[in-house]
Parts: sequence; C-alpha cells; structure tokens
Amino acid sequence: MSIGQSQLPTDSLKVEQGLPAAELKRPPGPWVILWKKFSHNPYAMSGLFVLLFFIIVAILAPVLTKYKPDAIDMMFPNLKPGAEGHLLGTDELGRDILTRLLYSARISLSIGFTVAFASVVVGSIVGAISGYFGGWVDTIFMRIVDVTNSVPTLFLNILVLAIFGSEVKYMILILALTSWMSIARLVRGNFLQLREMQYVEAARAIGVSNWGIIFRHLLRNASFPIIVNATLMVGGAILSESALSYLGLGIQSPATSWGLMLSNAQEFMLIDPLQAVYPGLCILLVVLAVNFIGDGIRDGLDPRQQVTKSRRRLDKWRKNYSKSGN
Amino acid sequence: MAEKLLEIRKLTTGFITEKGMVKATDQISIAVDKGQTVCLVGESGSGKSVTSLAIMRLIDYAGGMILEGNINFHGQDLAAKTQEEMRVIRGNKIAMIFQDPMSTLNPVFTIGDQIAESLQLHQNKNAKEAAEMAVGLLKLVGIPAPEIRAKQYPHELSGGMSQRVVIAIALACNPELLIADEPTTALDVTVQAQILDLLRKLQAELGMSILLITHDMGVAAEIADRIAVMYAGAIVEEGTVEEIFDHPSHPYTIGLLQSIPGFEGGRGGELYTIKGTIPPIGQLPTGCRFHPRCPHAMEVCSMKEPPDFMITDDHRAACWLFQGKPVQADNKDEVRQA
Amino acid sequence: MTEYLIRRVLQSVLVIFLITIVTFLLIHAAPGGPTQVMLSPGLSPEIFKQQAHNLGLDKPIYIQYIRWIGDLLQGDLGYTFKNHLAVSDLLLPRIGNTFILMGAAWLVSLIIAIPWGIYNSTKVYGLSDQSASFISYIGFAMPTFWFGILLQQWFSLKLDWFPLSDMHTRGKEGDIGDLFMHLVLPITVLALGFLVSYMKYARASMLEVLDQDYIRTARAKGVKERKVIFHHALRNALIPIITVLGMDLPILVGGAALTESVFNWPGMGRLYVQMATQREYSVLMAITIVTAVMVVLGNLLADILYAVVDPRVKLSKQGGKAA
Repeated sequence: MSIGQSQLPTDSLKVEQGLPAAELKRPPGPWVILWKKFSHNPYAMSGLFVLLFFIIVAILAPVLTKYKPDAIDMMFPNLKPGAEGHLLGTDELGRDILTRLLYSARISLSIGFTVAFASVVVGSIVGAISGYFGGWVDTIFMRIVDVTNSVPTLFLNILVLAIFGSEVKYMILILALTSWMSIARLVRGNFLQLREMQYVEAARAIGVSNWGIIFRHLLRNASFPIIVNATLMVGGAILSESALSYLGLGIQSPATSWGLMLSNAQEFMLIDPLQAVYPGLCILLVVLAVNFIGDGIRDGLDPRQQVTKSRRRLDKWRKNYSKSGN
Repeated sequence: MAEKLLEIRKLTTGFITEKGMVKATDQISIAVDKGQTVCLVGESGSGKSVTSLAIMRLIDYAGGMILEGNINFHGQDLAAKTQEEMRVIRGNKIAMIFQDPMSTLNPVFTIGDQIAESLQLHQNKNAKEAAEMAVGLLKLVGIPAPEIRAKQYPHELSGGMSQRVVIAIALACNPELLIADEPTTALDVTVQAQILDLLRKLQAELGMSILLITHDMGVAAEIADRIAVMYAGAIVEEGTVEEIFDHPSHPYTIGLLQSIPGFEGGRGGELYTIKGTIPPIGQLPTGCRFHPRCPHAMEVCSMKEPPDFMITDDHRAACWLFQGKPVQADNKDEVRQA
Repeated sequence: MTEYLIRRVLQSVLVIFLITIVTFLLIHAAPGGPTQVMLSPGLSPEIFKQQAHNLGLDKPIYIQYIRWIGDLLQGDLGYTFKNHLAVSDLLLPRIGNTFILMGAAWLVSLIIAIPWGIYNSTKVYGLSDQSASFISYIGFAMPTFWFGILLQQWFSLKLDWFPLSDMHTRGKEGDIGDLFMHLVLPITVLALGFLVSYMKYARASMLEVLDQDYIRTARAKGVKERKVIFHHALRNALIPIITVLGMDLPILVGGAALTESVFNWPGMGRLYVQMATQREYSVLMAITIVTAVMVVLGNLLADILYAVVDPRVKLSKQGGKAA
C-alpha cells in the first residue's frame, strides 16, 4: 500500500493557516476567581451577611444595650417578650435576655475563631513535619490520631475541663487540641505528594532549606483547603462550646453563653418556653452561616464545579432537544 | 450486495453543558453489513465513542442525548425506542466491549457470575445452566482452566485475561453486532495482537458483524472491511479498507496515515504530525471543521461546510477539493453551525 | 485474611493501651496531682497523708499505673471516692441503657438514610435530593441538645404525647410500651444527627460508583436499571460506607451523651457528665476506657465486614486495604 497515488500533491503541506489566536489576557488570580464565584453563590453570600451581622452586634453589644448581662433585677423576673425596656423579656433572675444573647455572641464567636486559628497553627505544623519528614514524627502523629479517633471528643473535652477546671482558656485549649487533626491530615497528605515532586530536589540542590520549602509550599498549595477546613471548624467549635456550657462544664455563671442560657431555659421551660428558642436559634444561624461560607469557598475553589443548572431547566432542554426523550 | 444489519443515518447527538447544547456528533451516517467489520477511526474527542454509546442508547445515562437521525437495526429505529425496549436488545442482539478491561468488570462479583448474568437475563437459563455455559464461553475466548477462573474475581486476572472475559460477556448471547470501543488500547502490544486475532477468529466462527472503534489506523488496517474516519464529530471520509489505504482522499486521512510509524508514505523515517489540535466540542470553526489545520485549505473551506463527494461508488469524502470532480452525492443540508 | 485480622487486633490492643496511658497521665497531670482532686480539701495533713498512702497515691507514677491496669484487667474498675461504690456496679446497668438508646437510634437512622441517600443519588438535584440537602444543612448546624429541648417543649409539655424525660415511668419498670414511649423523643434527636451524615455518605458513595465503567457494562448487558442500582452499584457503594460507619462511632457516643443529658436517660454518657462535675476520676477513666474498647471493637467489626464485602481485601497479605 502506498499513498503515492493519492489524488493530492503532498508537497503543499507547508501552507500556513493560522489557528484562531488564543486570547493572551493575563488570567485572573485565584482570589479574584474565588470571589467571583463566591459572590454569585446566594447561600455563601447570605452566610457572609449573617456572620458579619453577628460579629458587628457582638462588638457593639455595650452600645446596643443599656443593661449588663449579669445584672440581676429581682423586681422584674420572667418578663414576657415585648415588656417595657426588655424586647425579649427577662429570665428568672430578671436579667435582660437580649443583652445576654448579645454578650453570648461575643463568647461564642471569639471561642469559635480562636479555636479554628489555633487548630490551623498546630495542624499545619504537625501535618507539614509529619508529611515532609515522615519517619518517627509521622508514626507518633498517626498514633495520636488513632487514639483521639477512638475516644469521643466530647468525653475528652469533659475530662480535661473536669480536671483543670471550667475556664475559657482551658476550653479553647482542649477544643483546639481535639480538632487540629483534620487539618494536620490534610496538610500531611499535601506534603506526602510534595515529597515526590521534582522541584523539591531542585530547591534543595540550590540550597533552599527544608523549612523554606515547607513554608512556601504551605502558603502556595495548602492554604485554600486549610481555609475551607478552618471555616467549617469555627462552626464545630461553637457547637462544642455550647454543648459543654449546656452540660455545665463550659462557661460558668455569671458569664454568659448561648449554651449556658439553654441549660437555664430548660429548667424554666414551663414558665417561659420562648427562652429556650432564642439562644438555640442564634447558634443555628451562626453555624449555618459559617458552614455556608465554608461550602461557598470550597465550591469557588473547585475548578470542576460548574454552576449547576436547575433541574427544571435541564428537563426543558431535554424536552426541546432530545429525540430519545427519556 | 450484502444485507445491511445496522444503518445509521444523519445521527446527531449532543450534551448539555454550561454553554447550552453542544453537539458531539453531527449528521453522521454509516452502515454495517452482516458479517462485516467496520472501523470508526479518529482522535480522542472526535465523537467516535459517543456514536457507539448512542447505538447502544447508553448515551442517555452519560448525560447526552440523540437529537436527530435514525439508527436502523433490522429495520427498527433504535433512536426511537424506550430504554425498556432497548434492554431486550442490549447484551442480546447488540453487545459491547470497552476500552479498559480492568475497570469494566465489577470488582465484587466473580467472573463466572458476570458472564452468566446475560444468559440468565436474555436466554431464560437457570443459574446452573448459565454457570456451565459461562465456563464454556471462557474456554471459547481462550482462557486456560476456565472452571477455576470462573470462580475468581476480576482483580485476580491480568489485563489481557480481563479483556477476554469482557469479550466472553459480550458474546454470551450470540450477538449479531459487536461494538468494540478501543478494545486493545489499554493493553500491551503483544496482548493487543492476541485480542485482535481472537476477535477475527470469533467473527469467522460466529458470523457476527463488528463495529470497531479505534484511534489507531494500524488496528483498522488489520481487521477492517470498511473504514470511516471521524473528525470533530463528523465522518470526513468513508470507504473500503483498500480504498482508504490506497487512495486516501481527505487531507485529514492522509495526515493520519502519514503519522503511522513505518508507513510507506511517511517521509524519510520522519514522523509526520498534523499541526494544531482537534477543537473541543462546541467550539467548531465555521465552514469545514478541519480547515484551520488543513494544509490545502481554500477560501471556500472557511465559509461553507463541505458535503460528501463520491470518489468512487464505494468511497466518499467531505472535502471541497473534490467539488465537481467526480459525482456529488447525498448533499448535506446547508452550512450548519454547531 | 487471618493475617490481616491478627494485625488489626494487635493494632486495636495497642490503641487501647495508649488510651489507658493517656487518660491515666491526664488525671495525674491535674493541678496539685491526683491527691488533691481525689481527697477532700478539708482533711488535716496527717489524715491526708494516711489516706494518700492507703490509696497508693504516694508511690511512683508507673507503679500506680501498673497497679491500676492490673486491677483493670481483673475487671476491677475501682471505687468512687464519695460513698465508695464499686464503679463496675455503677457502670454496668448504664452500658445496657446506652446500648438500647444508641442502637435503636442507629438502626432508625440507617434504615432511613441509606435508601434515601441511594434514591437521591439516582435523582440528583430532584425534589427529594434538595429536601435532603436542606435537612442536612440544618442537622449539621443545629445543636442536638437544643433540638431535644424543642421536642420536649412541643411534644411533651404542650401536646403531652410523650413523657418529658427518664427511661421509665415510676412503677412501670418492666413495661415495654412505656419504655418505647420514653424512647421516641431521644431517638428522634439522636437519629437526626446520624441520619444527615449517613445520607451524605450513601449519596456520595453511590454517585461515585454509578460513574464507574462496570455500571456501564451492566447496562450494556441489558440489566434492568433497578438491578443495576441495587445489585451492581450498591454492593460496591457499601464498601466505603461500612468504613465510615466504624469511624463515626465516637461521634455517635458523644451525641448519645448529650441526648442522655437532655432527656435524663440513665446511660453511660449522662453518668460521665454527672461524674465529671463531681470529679469522680475512677468513673471517668472507666467510662473512657469502656467506650474506647467499644469504638475499637466497632472499627474491627467494620474492617471484618469490609473484608467480607470486598473480595480484593482477602488477597492483600500486607493487611492494607486494596482500594
């Protein structure tokens, strides 16, 4: 067989026919893409607004209310919502409920963010070391994960608070100590991949120190997944704090927190059922908002993730175009 | 002329994406006669796999759909059938083998069970009969110690073995048409040849027709009676294997042939590559879909899509170079924009 | 297979051993040491010293640990400091009560979550899928105990359909119907928590499997869609779900502890909370270790199940999951 008898002269293969020129615009940075997708995500945006609302309200608490959160007023206990001067009423000791909700937001949010931040720091360091160097550090890390995975986190938290006392600093410490593992695992996996890459060898060869490699890699390749994980962790920490406070091992009176308010409200359920609604609703809203933001960031980072067309629109397409139709 | 088993006419398929409906194949027509082997050749992304999925109507499950055209099989239009009606034909009258044999077999069931399933489904065999027949089929496709193999799981087999099992599954109900989508691509070169031999042998024994999909002109040369060359969702040239190899007409086909290592037309040992890449679906150029990469592109090529021109009675090419030369047949509709 | 099992059992024993060390050290790291927290502060120095000696608290820490673990292995979990009750007597009936609540909630959630998740994987973004995703969002963000309080307010105080709390009405201890009525609200609370995760896992796992080539093969054989899903896909999708069921056990126990506290359910978790406020360390240690053993055993069971469902595991002599 030969193509010598082809009807075409093969010597004209040189003819240049340019491809349509690709657009050579500089691609937008990751933050820009992220924000673009994020701002078009209604859930993420509403989450952001709710969270900002709670943060502002928590900061401005002393301005927004004239009462002190622990100011007992035995003249007006158990006022109904809408009572004069007390928008949401008072509790059994005459403390203004709205005021307590506002100050609780301060506690919950600051614990949530501090725990997430501490977990990121601890988790990144442990994960990076254990993934990058491997060896005994990695073995110890894996055993720690085994152990903490076998004991309910709640039990560990309770145990530590029972031993060391129910103070905010211990609560933050133990919540961070029981939640850094997910970040460490994520960073570790990332660094295990890194070890295999050629450019690490190259970087070492030109004298970049291990720590330099670790730090730069951490910033460049692991920062976005860490952010997603940390965001979701804020919600988890707020939930844990409220649970511990509800159980009587977290925030102690006269300080206030949503969980503590709920434990209080449960005792006086018969007198004022609404007292149990407000704090729970606040927790739900804040955690929901944080989770929406976390999901929004994750979806914004995922290059595969396309904006999904609504089901109805897909069905319409199908009806209009399909011959096979089922 | 031999009896036509499968005749695809102006088949257009599409997928819904971000940007709306995107055509994966555009008005393609091919026919497979009884006992014949037809090869559909093209680069990845040319729409050849989509065509095979469309015939099986598995395209519905892959998020795509048939937009236009007929798939006549024994005079029935498969494109108009419901999934329920297709179920009786799939695995029974038309069977299919896929590219990667390792992922094609279900990891949690034994090989024997996976072969026996078709028999129980389509031939009303009970479990025991089906199991016995499965062993027979394993023997047929050349697997040693079939009784033992039948009780094994897919992960215990090599790639070549797995592909034989996949073929055994496909042949279980004596299909009239076997669609083979890149059946040798994932295998070692030596195993590739064995599998092609096996297919040829089985075809001779069982008298089925084969529609083989490949990106490899070499494979097509070995096994095909007819070849259809696909580019970016359309068939650009079609004819008997002799016609295609002796008188390749479409510049794309010529390019494909010249890029085969060791092929006589290759220029002095140097491998020829077609410049540029296949356009992604949904981003077709105007006019002839090949013109941006074509060494012979003319002015008309970028304006109007070429219809099929008959080179001989049995050989057509969609290229403006043949306008007015031989007989023009089967005019395509006016220029279409995907 | 046996080799794999032996490896896993040894691993489990090691983990439990580490947990005993960690809990033991934690308690001995308390400010002032265990003497301080185990003995009442009002004692005179002489009696204090005498008591500490009686309890063996003046010995080096590794001797104390060896003594403690020796007792533990003989089934002696120690005594409460207050009232001097045997911890095992206190704990045993509670374990059963926790099992009743957790087991029932677990079953309910599995029975709803797995089929629902599978259904949603076949109709992604359909009405059912969207409602499930709505419930998931709420379920993940809502404090369990708050949901419990709301249920109490509505179904117990307002409608009076179910009892407010406890496990039995006084005087009806053997009555199964009475127990059932007491179970409904706590199960609802606990099951919602499990349900949302299991549904998510089932859906994701099925979606992953439905995308595999062997599903296309099954369809190409002419297998009915129902059989494709329940026979070809489900068996594969179950493999990762089983692992997750094992891994999630500690979260289950934690959730149970909260629910028990809300509904005053006489289980292990509530005992743990009560004893934590009273600083009864021997009980805390005992419960921690009992739950750890339960969790580790659960994980082991999940691994065995995994090996049963996935034929690929049997071959891997190294014990690694050939996933």
